[in-house]
Amino acid sequence: MSDLSIEVHEVDGAAVLLPAGFINAHTVRDFEEAMEALVKAGRYTILLDCRHLTYISSAGLGAIMGLIETVREHGGDILLSNLQANVFAIFDTLGFTQLYRVFGDQAQALAAIQPQRQA
Amino acid sequence: MDHAQFRLVIPSQTRYLNLVTGLAKRASLVAGMDDAAAAKVSIAVDEAVTNIILHAYHGEGDHSVELELRFTSAALEIHILHAGQGLRQDQVVLPDPKEYIRHPRKGGLGLLLMSRFMDEVRFGQDSGSGRNECCLIKKIS
Repeated sequence: MSDLSIEVHEVDGAAVLLPAGFINAHTVRDFEEAMEALVKAGRYTILLDCRHLTYISSAGLGAIMGLIETVREHGGDILLSNLQANVFAIFDTLGFTQLYRVFGDQAQALAAIQPQRQA
Repeated sequence: MDHAQFRLVIPSQTRYLNLVTGLAKRASLVAGMDDAAAAKVSIAVDEAVTNIILHAYHGEGDHSVELELRFTSAALEIHILHAGQGLRQDQVVLPDPKEYIRHPRKGGLGLLLMSRFMDEVRFGQDSGSGRNECCLIKKIS
């Protein structure tokens, strides 16, 4: 099994990114490239479905932080769903759950951004 | 298991991070921590070793990083030793999370995670070898 694999799907007009494995200093470049490719393609509303993400270090958090202003300047956002307990603990400990919208599952997240995508 | 200890030496390459975080997590469980605490220790170790590889050794992969795990009845101590550029305790400045959220940027979160997830984080020099040391301590509650 590779350290990190990333799938990108189109769901109801939203870009859904599913990282599987772990994001740390060794794997973060792959994650950054996937996120940057979406932004470069004009996909400013990105849902990170973390159901298969086993952990994320500050390297991965930095990759998300590096893009949040850009997507919001374009009227989009980065949303999170399906965080495992230890991944949620990392976001919550740093207060990032106030910065990002966190949802229990993908359907809830997509429902929350529906008006945004219709605009 | 009181006062048991062992060592692991890895090359200063990020490809081995998952090896040491896995070890840290298993060691934490053996020491008596629950899954949540063990996950926090493993993240703290990831951050500490990453800092050494990227900053103390400037990303050069031909050095070594030594981890010494010490089990006591009260805590798990993880001493991480290296011969790269050292960080002194008085150089440690933790970012303010609120300020960080107001002005998002890359970097600066590793030390904060380490300090939040461990009971004690110390930087200094190993008196025996003269190498630089990062010591992470997690109490067993």
